Amino acid sequence: MLNNDSSIVSPEEYKKITEELYKRNLELATLYKQVDSLNKELGVANENLRNVIKQRESLEHLITHKVKGAFTRSKYIFAGILDGTFGEISPEIKKIAKQGLDSDDTGITTVDLILNVANMQKGIVKYDMKTVDLKEIALKIINEKKDSAEEKGIKIESEIGDDTYNVSGDAFWLKEVTNNLIDNSIRYTQKGGITVRLQKHDDKVLITIKDTGIGINEEDKKHLFTEGGRGQGSTRINVDSTGYGLYSVKLIIEAHKGRVWAESLGADKGSTFYVELPAV
Amino acid sequence: MNPSSQLTQIPIRIIKEQELIIGPLAWEEASRVSGLVIDQSRNSVSFSGDGKDVIDRLVTQYERIFGKASHAVCHEAVQDIVSQMPPDEVPSSLK
Repeated sequence: MLNNDSSIVSPEEYKKITEELYKRNLELATLYKQVDSLNKELGVANENLRNVIKQRESLEHLITHKVKGAFTRSKYIFAGILDGTFGEISPEIKKIAKQGLDSDDTGITTVDLILNVANMQKGIVKYDMKTVDLKEIALKIINEKKDSAEEKGIKIESEIGDDTYNVSGDAFWLKEVTNNLIDNSIRYTQKGGITVRLQKHDDKVLITIKDTGIGINEEDKKHLFTEGGRGQGSTRINVDSTGYGLYSVKLIIEAHKGRVWAESLGADKGSTFYVELPAV
Repeated sequence: MNPSSQLTQIPIRIIKEQELIIGPLAWEEASRVSGLVIDQSRNSVSFSGDGKDVIDRLVTQYERIFGKASHAVCHEAVQDIVSQMPPDEVPSSLK
């Protein structure tokens, strides 16, 4: 027998080499079996995941067609009672019908929020990217929210310069973001005020929403922008908190290649939310 | 399962395990074992002569070329079959 340098290999050496090769192959076969076993486990996990996704889609379908439909129908009944469709009503009934209408609106908003998040996660939300001046959006939302804030004794102030604060984005969804953050500040501020600021830094536009509200403790900070992440502070003030509001804000801002974060010195020390987007 | 049908399962299990390590050579070497009749297309074997002796020769055939590691592989491959067989029916190379 010859080896590579044409010298003769003894039968003993040949056997030694063959046995060594066998051992190497055995190691490879063992690894192959482990990989094969992991692949099978992965296959089972994938199948389970597919089932979970199917269940989730089925749940979304149920929410869309049944729950939202039910809210919408009762909303029109309450609206009909309020606008006199069913005849004259007493002030007491009017008050109850108004509460019913508000409750239905909250329900529809919540369902829409969860469905929007589901669509964002699936990547089926189409963003109509155009040049948008964040100043217009911020001032519009501040104007819309002023009354409800003042009813609570909270003042909303703006620190927005004369400049334009143009970003590339979908005006509808950026309005949703601003609306959500200002709404949150109003909801979680019992006294004091809210300041909305717009700034330009280099090639970025920064929206800052600062409040004197309940603040965010260290534990809640960890769950702030996560799916369903309801903090202790938020559920104490707002029992209807879904935990999807800030998560949707994060998904929208990330789709706009921006970032969102929050700072707070702790419980009862107010919060500041920041949204940074590329300027155009 | 009766001991004789368990016995015919053993060579197939061993050859397939060796195939994972050395490829088609496993079938080639098995075909050299006297008394072992292989039908690869049906994944079946039969014995001419004493089955236990034939299996011992098959194990030895692999061990002669590939060493002790291959004996251990044969042993490991049929553990579940052997554990259900009466001890006197188990080929000595697999005890």
